[in-house]
Parts: sequence; structure tokens; C-alpha cells
Amino acid sequence: MATIIDIQQEKALQVKNFEFTYAGADAPSIKKLDMPIAKNAITALIGPSGCGKTTLLRSFNRIHDLYPGNKYEGEILFNERNILTSKEDLISLRIKIGMIFQKPTAFPMSIYDNVAYGMRLQGIKNKTELNDRVEKALKDAAIWKEVKDRLKHDANGLSGGQQQRLCIARAIAVEPEVLLFDEPTSALDPISTAGIEELVVELKERVSIIIVTHNMQQAARVSDYTGFMYLGELIELGRTEEMFVTPREKLTEEYITGKFG
Amino acid sequence: MTHTQKRIIINNVIMTLSTLSAVIGMAFLFWILGVLVINGIDALNWNIFSQVGAPPGYEESGLKHALIGQLYIVGVATFAGVPLGIMAGTYLSEYGQKSKLAEIIRDISDIMMSAPSIVIGAFVYAIVVMPMGHFSAWAGSIALSIIMLPIILRTTDDMLQLVPSTLREAAFALGAPKYKVIIQVVYRGAKVGILTGVLLGVARVAGETAPLLFTSFNDNFLNTNMNEPMASLTVTMFNYATSPYEDWQKLGWAAAFILSMFILGLNIIARVFLMKKRIK
Repeated sequence: MATIIDIQQEKALQVKNFEFTYAGADAPSIKKLDMPIAKNAITALIGPSGCGKTTLLRSFNRIHDLYPGNKYEGEILFNERNILTSKEDLISLRIKIGMIFQKPTAFPMSIYDNVAYGMRLQGIKNKTELNDRVEKALKDAAIWKEVKDRLKHDANGLSGGQQQRLCIARAIAVEPEVLLFDEPTSALDPISTAGIEELVVELKERVSIIIVTHNMQQAARVSDYTGFMYLGELIELGRTEEMFVTPREKLTEEYITGKFG
Repeated sequence: MTHTQKRIIINNVIMTLSTLSAVIGMAFLFWILGVLVINGIDALNWNIFSQVGAPPGYEESGLKHALIGQLYIVGVATFAGVPLGIMAGTYLSEYGQKSKLAEIIRDISDIMMSAPSIVIGAFVYAIVVMPMGHFSAWAGSIALSIIMLPIILRTTDDMLQLVPSTLREAAFALGAPKYKVIIQVVYRGAKVGILTGVLLGVARVAGETAPLLFTSFNDNFLNTNMNEPMASLTVTMFNYATSPYEDWQKLGWAAAFILSMFILGLNIIARVFLMKKRIK
């Protein structure tokens, strides 16, 4: 049985009895998982490769739906509503729950157009409003100074770390409530990584954050809560500072002390 | 002889043989180009572009009818084949993906690509020319667009699949509907590749003779009515080159030269695009 601490504060998401099965797989990749996600906090998901942490993360914005045959069961409550139903409007769900990927995903267009992309999708055409919000998003993502003189340049000319911050700017420009980070620094150098981590911590003022990471130091540095997953199950969810010092589950302890993984 | 010496000799022999083979292959290419250029440039004059065909012996005889006919037939074929090919390729890469139907279409398209073009000409003869009762430029364009279709379809499919799926996911994750993801992100990422495919497809059909022989047939005069038989560079070249008249044979050389330069040009442009893409 999983050890899950009681989260006192408000919750952004609530996973209940959740199961996920990939198309064509016999057994579910995530089994009977319960997990609260605190609002305006950072929750890190850790665990060995194949434990289901990315699978879980990708369920929160139902990006799995892009590939036919994947199956959800149970509930994920977002604003008191189960988002796993078939009548869920995925477009508005994904506007509220944004995602940052492992590799930077700058679109093949200018820096400006990249950041404006999500807003334009929502029908914002007003030039001044777009300009203001693009600037604000880039400032919030701590990349404004580097790109303000080349907003019309191709975004693919930026460095990896800059592109990742651009992707964060693009995601926060539509003012989501939740941001999902899928190993956002695994393709970056240490300096860029530090920059992204700093940014993630600043962002929690405004959004709830879930971050999947292979890097336990990263989880310890940035997160408020940490969930340890193993073989499709949540083994332990706790306050980060407690979990890394005094894990309650033996498996957690073995993993964070490097006995396996 | 030591082991090392033996190895060096074998190495040199193999290197010489393979270099020689490469040179022989290239020699034929330059031979063809050389003969074409020498005879073609010799046959070129202003009349070729300003005059239509005339009986042998006439001074004022040219290829204007065939050049314009070629533009019409290939133009209409491109107009029909390119959107169809791009849309079909989009279906395969973005909607069908690895489904059975998509795989079957891919296989059929590969088979179509290697189908002899004369067979496609015969097919169009049977379904268009016979019911209409006469040859027409439409039939020629249809035959060419059928030949073009699998080339554009497969390059589009391949080029779209090269766009990383995370890029699509990122657009979806911002709340984009599928058609906008395809048009605004996926096409943009693959545009150079798709354009290259289109150019290669056009270059391929521009040199076709067999499917035009019994579809658009030929006309010795200028005609812009797609319902009528129409001259094309390739069929005109075939007729003139096989004729016993020296001035017609000269025109045939000119047609061959112009056509080759056009196709060579398209191929070079396509290659430049691809190179630029690789550098990026």
C-alpha cells in the first residue's frame, strides 16, 4: 500500500483509482493510482525508467489521445470535474493544462510567432494585446533580454536552453492553471538547467507544477512534494524535504540512496 | 610477399576498379549531355520559340506549338496531381499513420511508382480517350498526374513523418485543433521537403513520352484547347527525330536540348533546396 501524506492545502488535481493501458498492451502501465496534486506548488515525480511517471504526466492533458487505442480508467479531477470522460473538451483542457517537453519544441517560425501561437489559437488578434502579452511572457520566462532585438528571427536559431525557455514562455502566455514538465532539463547543459530550475520555482506563484525528472537532486532542489513511482504504482508521496531525509517506504529509501534505478 | 604487401595490393586493385566503374558511369552521362549540347545548341535559333511546326523543307519552322502544349499538359497535370498527392500524403502521415489502410495505400503507391508509364497511358486511353472518341490534352494531363501522384504522395508522407512528433504534441498541448497543427506547424516544418518532392515529381513527368503518345497525341500546330489533341515536346521530339527529314531531325535535337535543360534545372533547384535544409 502506498504511503500518501495528507496535503492540507488546496488541490490542483486529484487522481483517483486511475489506470492507464497503452494501445495493444495486455497489462495497464499505471495501476490503481491515487494521488493528490497541491495547488501552487511543485510536485516532482521520480522513479526508475518505465515506472509510469511520464505516462501519468501525459494523462493530465490527455496527450495520449493523439494515439489511438490508449485507455484510461478511474478519475482525474480538475476543478471538481473528471477530465477523463469522452465528452471532455480537450482543446480547452490543454489551454488550462500546459506542457513542456524533454527536448525543446520551438515551432519552425519566428520567436514572436512561437510565443503568440497559443494566444492566436484562442482568437486574440489585437496587435497591442499580443505585443504586450508576448513581452510579458518572455520576461516571465527570463529570456526577454536575449531575444528582444530579434523577435522576428527564426526560433530555431536559439540555443537549446533558450529554446526551452521560449517554450515555457509560449506555455505561460496562455495563462494555464497547471504546467506539466516532462524532464525539461535532460537535454540541457548545467547552466541552462539551473536557469530553468530557477524559473520553475518562480512560476509556482501562479501555476501548479508537476515535473517528471530522472535527476533526484533536481527533485530535491525545486519541488515541494515528491511522488516516487515504481512499476506503475505510486509508492510514496510526501513533502520533499521529509521524503529525501526520512522516507517511509523501504523501496523509496532504496531508490533515493541509489540501491537500484 | 608479406601479408601487409598483399593487403596493400588488394586494396589498390579494388580502389582502381571501383574508381574506374564510377568514371565509366559518369562518362556516359557527360557523353549524353555533350552530344545533346552540341547538337541542341547547333539547332537552336529564334524560330524555334516563335514558329509552329511546318512541313519539312520550310525555313520558318519551330517548336512553339510543342513548348506551349508541353506547358499546358504538364501545368494541368501539376495542378491536379500536386494537391492530390500532398493531401494523400497528409492522410498517410497524419491520419492513417500505421493503420492497415495507410500501409496498403503506401504499398500500392510504391507499386504505381514503378509501373511502366506506357501502361498508365493505355489505362487512360481506355477510360478517357475511348469514351470521348478522340485524343485530348486532358487525357495527357490525367495520365501525367497519375504518374506524378505516387511520387508526391510518398515524398509528402516521408517528409511529414520526419517532423518530430514532439512538435505536434507541443502544438496540441497548447490547445490547437488537429488541422491547425498540420497546416501551421507540420507543413511549415516539412515545406522544403515537400517542395522538393513536387519539383522532382514535375521533373519526372515532364520527360514522359509513352503515356502521351496515345492520350494527348500530337498536333503540328499551335492549339490551346485542352479538348483537342495537343503537341508536347516529348512526342514532337519522337516524331521529328524518327522522321527522314534533316530539318525535322534538327528540331528534334532542339526539343531534346530544351527538355533536358528544363528537367536538369528542376533537379538542380530541388537539390539546392535539400542541401540548404541539411545545412540548417
